[in-house]
Amino acid sequence: MTSVPIVAARGVSKSFFGNRVLSDVSIALAPGRIHALLGENGAGKSTLINLLSGALVPDSGSIEVDGRSVRSLTPSEARRAGIAVVQQELGLTSDLSVAENIGLGAYPRRFGLIDYRRLARRAREVCDLVGLHEDLSTPVAGLPLGRRQLVEIAKALFREPRVLILDEPTSSLSAHEADTLTRLLRRLRDAGTAVLYISHRLNEVMRLCDHVTVLKDGALTADRSLEGVDASGLVRLMVGRDPGDLFPRWTPSDARETVVTVTGFSAGVLRDIDLEIRRGEILGIGGLVGQGQEELLLGLYGALPGKARKAAFNGVAGLPGSVMRANALGLAYVPADRKREGLHLTHTIAWNMMVPSFGRARALSFRRRADERALATALADRLDIKGDLTRQVQALSGGNQQKVALAKWMPSDPPILLLNDPTRGVDVETKREIYVLLRSFAAEGRAVVLSSSDTPELVHLCDRVAVMREGRIVSTLAHGEATEEAIVAAAMAAEPARAAA
Amino acid sequence: MSTPSAVAQRSLYWPVQWSRNRGLFGLFVVVVGFLLLYAYLFPGFLSVSGVAKFTQSWFPLALVAMAQAILMLTGGISLAIGPLVSLGAVVAATTMTGPPGALGGIAAVALTGLGIGAVSGVIVVRLRLPAIVVTLAAAFIIGGVALLILPRPGGAIPLWFSELLAGNMPVALGVLVVIALLWKVYLATPLGLSLYAAGENPVGAYRSGVPVDAARIVAYAISGLLCTLAGLFVAAQTGSGDPVIGNAFTLNSIAAAVLGGVGFLGGRGTMRGALAGSLLLSLMISVMFFLGFSPVAQYVAQGLIIIGAVALPEIRRWRTVV
Repeated sequence: MTSVPIVAARGVSKSFFGNRVLSDVSIALAPGRIHALLGENGAGKSTLINLLSGALVPDSGSIEVDGRSVRSLTPSEARRAGIAVVQQELGLTSDLSVAENIGLGAYPRRFGLIDYRRLARRAREVCDLVGLHEDLSTPVAGLPLGRRQLVEIAKALFREPRVLILDEPTSSLSAHEADTLTRLLRRLRDAGTAVLYISHRLNEVMRLCDHVTVLKDGALTADRSLEGVDASGLVRLMVGRDPGDLFPRWTPSDARETVVTVTGFSAGVLRDIDLEIRRGEILGIGGLVGQGQEELLLGLYGALPGKARKAAFNGVAGLPGSVMRANALGLAYVPADRKREGLHLTHTIAWNMMVPSFGRARALSFRRRADERALATALADRLDIKGDLTRQVQALSGGNQQKVALAKWMPSDPPILLLNDPTRGVDVETKREIYVLLRSFAAEGRAVVLSSSDTPELVHLCDRVAVMREGRIVSTLAHGEATEEAIVAAAMAAEPARAAA
Repeated sequence: MSTPSAVAQRSLYWPVQWSRNRGLFGLFVVVVGFLLLYAYLFPGFLSVSGVAKFTQSWFPLALVAMAQAILMLTGGISLAIGPLVSLGAVVAATTMTGPPGALGGIAAVALTGLGIGAVSGVIVVRLRLPAIVVTLAAAFIIGGVALLILPRPGGAIPLWFSELLAGNMPVALGVLVVIALLWKVYLATPLGLSLYAAGENPVGAYRSGVPVDAARIVAYAISGLLCTLAGLFVAAQTGSGDPVIGNAFTLNSIAAAVLGGVGFLGGRGTMRGALAGSLLLSLMISVMFFLGFSPVAQYVAQGLIIIGAVALPEIRRWRTVV
């Protein structure tokens, strides 16, 4: 590209508390190009975005806007230069309406007041672009996660950006919503917008992007056109070596005893679920975002009140009814939102690993520090958790946090593991480790239930895949017949696939 | 909820206003029920002077409920509401019949509230200190200053002023309507509406270009102004200044805001809710008084009703899950 980049970083470095997060990184966002930014968790992607959008100032190096060096870019200067960021954590205000959220910080005014008429017109335009058809006066609190993500994107578009930075925009979108976004980004590119696209989904990047910058451990490992690069080549660039196959080889598991049966199970949005879970298998739960997958796991785990015509867990009839009872029956649950539900972030790694044991110990007994230390070390070894066990969990990367969330259940040796999207926001290398771990759990004769928003996981890792839609299981596919096409088709009701579990 | 996008949105402001009633209909029904009960118990209510008398008993609570709700929207809370009401009353009683004159006195009351509110806002926002601690300290200081100015009840309010606000005409109700409308206008400005974003999600709001600090500091100033105006009114009612007259308002303002569905974590709630909550609280007190409850029983009942009002939505949520 010969055109002047709209915004560029030249040899920027940034450290936090003596910890070098970025060193000598350059990136140039040129108009009319979709630029992918790849890297494992902790590679420095968010820091780079924050530098480009003025939220942070580099320690050395410079940020250039339209070819001119800016000493210290502030967020408001970045906005005026036309740089808009769609953050990964949602930044919406629940009590304000869709339109008021979209216009926030850039309201059109008339006599000093918000011009609601103009706001409505322009908000409607950007909502149509992203495929958001909700009434503009709907409070954001009432929208599901995927729709909120679209509001976030509409909010960025509202400012008519010249540079649009998207941090994992599709992580909570359905396939249909993601498609709309893809078309939109292509149209913006053709209109001359510079797009920076961050995603852990490689096939998305392959399909959409023109150019790629890869970060590894805070340093640049590639800055090149995507032409002639395949997915495994990208993974190689990110992990710095040949990844081999991302998924462990699938071998058919022996038909083993059924450990969980529910018939006519209803809880929350769940309607009339029939499900059997067997030892030694990984049962995948797929579907569009928010079709009851989480409720199914929580319902089985006794965390949601529910009813079933017939149920048996590990040989005991009836639903668990409470988490304590579910734990006693051998169920363990690893939530998707590990930061809020899975871990106690400000406590140490070792402490987090002990939490379920605290629940089992006699209420007023003393803790045995030496035993705890030995156990924590053993768990860290087994799951390959790097780092000092006395550090706070929040200091770990997403992948290592996820491993801690898994590790804490291991001491009680649960025969039934319920995992809610365990690889969301986890880097490729750790993903692979988690896959190997899950297969080894199954091989040990545990039952693993894996809800996932990442379809390839369901295809390559699972022995059976149950696809959910509107709170029902609409299809159960065996390994082999569960192709990406079949799962997506069932999830979107593209064909009258009906099979009872 | 959703409409086809092809239909152009003709107007947005009124649908948005309507949607803010969400979750408040139950409260409105209860308030209307209590109004009817009150009118039944006390038929004198249904006259111009009856309405005037009732709104006069409600007015200061309505103002402090708004003052508290604004701060709760910023994600803070104030323990200095009561002392600030007292200070407003004291300033009014010492200035209005003195050299500054009535108008000068009112200006002094307003500036006191705005100034103290703005200063505590700057301390909370700029120094990133917890609002509850700063306003606790402010409560001691402001209470002390009020006692320094007027060690025992005294001073005077011009008679015409007392007659105007606390007489037989519902002037207070009119003033309250004007204040509520001014709040609506403020909420229709970018800075006013941004208060919701600044309270619920300061980091996200800052990144969206919202002047978060300004929105919060202005909220503190408005809150202070409302408190001293409530003090001015109380002084007009009693005809003099009392340095500890406002103390009960601190906790009552929190109770009214909570009854009105204003959340403690910031960005959640509405001013109409806070006003309805304060009205409900006033009505409850009056009704219990007419029914002959002893003051002790009134307090207990008040506490039970508040905890019930907060717990009710939760209980309803459990039931819908099953």
